[in-house]
Amino acid sequence: MKAYMYSTLNKQHSTLNYAMMCRLTSVVLLLIVMMQEGIAQDVKGIRVHGFLSQGYLKSTGNNDVFGNSSGNGSFDFREIGANASYRPLPNLQFSGQLLSRSAGEDSKGGIRIDYGFVDYTAISTESMDFGIRLGRTKNPLGFYNDTRDVPFTRPSILLPQSIYFDRTRNLGLASDGVQLYGESRNSWGDLNAQFGVVFPQAGDRSTEFAILQADRPGSITPHLSYIGRLIYEYDGGRVRFALSGAQVNTGYNAAQQNDTYSGLGTFQFTPIIFSAQYNSERWSLTSEYAIRHIERQDFVARPDLNFTGESYYFQGIYRFSPSWEGVLRYDAYYADRTDRDGKQFLIDNKIPPELQGNIPAHSRFAKDITVGLRWNVTPSIMLRAEYHYINGTGWISSLDNRAPNATLQRFLPANTDQHWNLFAFQASYRF
Amino acid sequence: MVARNRFNYCYRIVSLFFFVFGVSYFATHTYANDSVEAVIHPSVELKSYSRNSLRAAFGMRLKTWPNGMPVRVFVMPDDAVLHTIFTKEKLNIFPYQLRAGWDKLIFSGTGQAPFLVRTEEEMRERISSTPGAIGYLKRANIDESIHVLNIE
Repeated sequence: MKAYMYSTLNKQHSTLNYAMMCRLTSVVLLLIVMMQEGIAQDVKGIRVHGFLSQGYLKSTGNNDVFGNSSGNGSFDFREIGANASYRPLPNLQFSGQLLSRSAGEDSKGGIRIDYGFVDYTAISTESMDFGIRLGRTKNPLGFYNDTRDVPFTRPSILLPQSIYFDRTRNLGLASDGVQLYGESRNSWGDLNAQFGVVFPQAGDRSTEFAILQADRPGSITPHLSYIGRLIYEYDGGRVRFALSGAQVNTGYNAAQQNDTYSGLGTFQFTPIIFSAQYNSERWSLTSEYAIRHIERQDFVARPDLNFTGESYYFQGIYRFSPSWEGVLRYDAYYADRTDRDGKQFLIDNKIPPELQGNIPAHSRFAKDITVGLRWNVTPSIMLRAEYHYINGTGWISSLDNRAPNATLQRFLPANTDQHWNLFAFQASYRF
Repeated sequence: MVARNRFNYCYRIVSLFFFVFGVSYFATHTYANDSVEAVIHPSVELKSYSRNSLRAAFGMRLKTWPNGMPVRVFVMPDDAVLHTIFTKEKLNIFPYQLRAGWDKLIFSGTGQAPFLVRTEEEMRERISSTPGAIGYLKRANIDESIHVLNIE
């Protein structure tokens, strides 16, 4: 009986893989068809673009990033996207993008609607624009969040994880609702503002894991949330400043009576990001600082939580030529700004010594020194390599790093190394 | 020990990369120089424009001309010499900044990409045949079918 069950399970597994392969093949075929259209550029006014990337990651210790990178290395990092836009009138545009991302256990390669909205510019003059977007829009956060899954728009293969962590990425990606925007262009600089009243995307396993540290019988539910960003650019973007903020609200829909998360409890995330950038012909210097307030309240059998995380990075990009550039970055993440070494966390949560290998103090911070190279082989082909030296595991994925005997319901993180190295390579194509 | 060997190996690869940079730096650093102008389809009905507005147009953030005509931008590939000269001399910015702005619009759905042309000949043809078009050409290649847009 047991043997029978095992074989059915196995079979299911292989069918699943087969389905995934079919899906991937169809995405690639679709992309090729779209590419032909894309070269034609303006077929009946519909503009099509896309990208495709394949990465390889190798890490030391037992610390996994995007699949089993600490073993033989992981090829489980792929980003495929295709978008279309249609502008029937100068002030009316329809836009949509499909995205398939594979990156370890958090992103399994399913096709999702990355964004899809209608954009109406109510006022448009030489010096200003004002308009509204309805539908699923990308969350305007910091300098990089809007296009975070497009390799060409990132400063490195992995975005600075302190601010753009991939662990709770789905919550931060895009949201459904209304967005107002405006731009003012002046001799003293350009101002660009966006403000949205939206519902975040919260229904997936990865988000539930990031919030609850387990796959519970119920599910995370999106509540009305707010997001906004103001960008100031001086002299065509030589100097740029941005201030972004969000209040992301979610609840939990318990499926069972005895669930300790039952009740009308809420989780609230309030990140505020300050961004600054200086651009010259050879140098781009960027720094962002984020303060992240997290609150959990009103769950009957769970104590209220209230703490503030802090993140920042300093980044320099140097262009050796238009096609070669190097990047150097220091990136720091603290889960709780009042407990930077994570020791108080162990005391407060009464983590017994025998579990401190699985839940160590170093899981509460991460300090990452990155050096990387980018080669634009052609305007549409890019190769990248980078090396990270990291102290702490604050932003690594719980799902990719779970103890061998852990289940998704009774979760236990794997033992990880505090000091570790990560190499990454990536090839990308765009059209 | 194995780890140390790997680090040595990586160190050598990194040095090799830096050598390649050095070579490519000198190979690409000299640009050809010829006077380049912003050019428009006659329907745009403009003689001159501020640099800031010209940047907004080439940045794909300007949707209509003052007379209501939709803006249609034509550019050459990012690595074309004329594109680099125009971006630096007339817009006073760098091609990578234009590209970053376009990509943000293209891949967040909040705008559209400029139209790509491969040669100056194609640029001249497309601009002279597209109402609302703007692009750039060497002065020597400008004829009466298109107008020069001076920067205020």
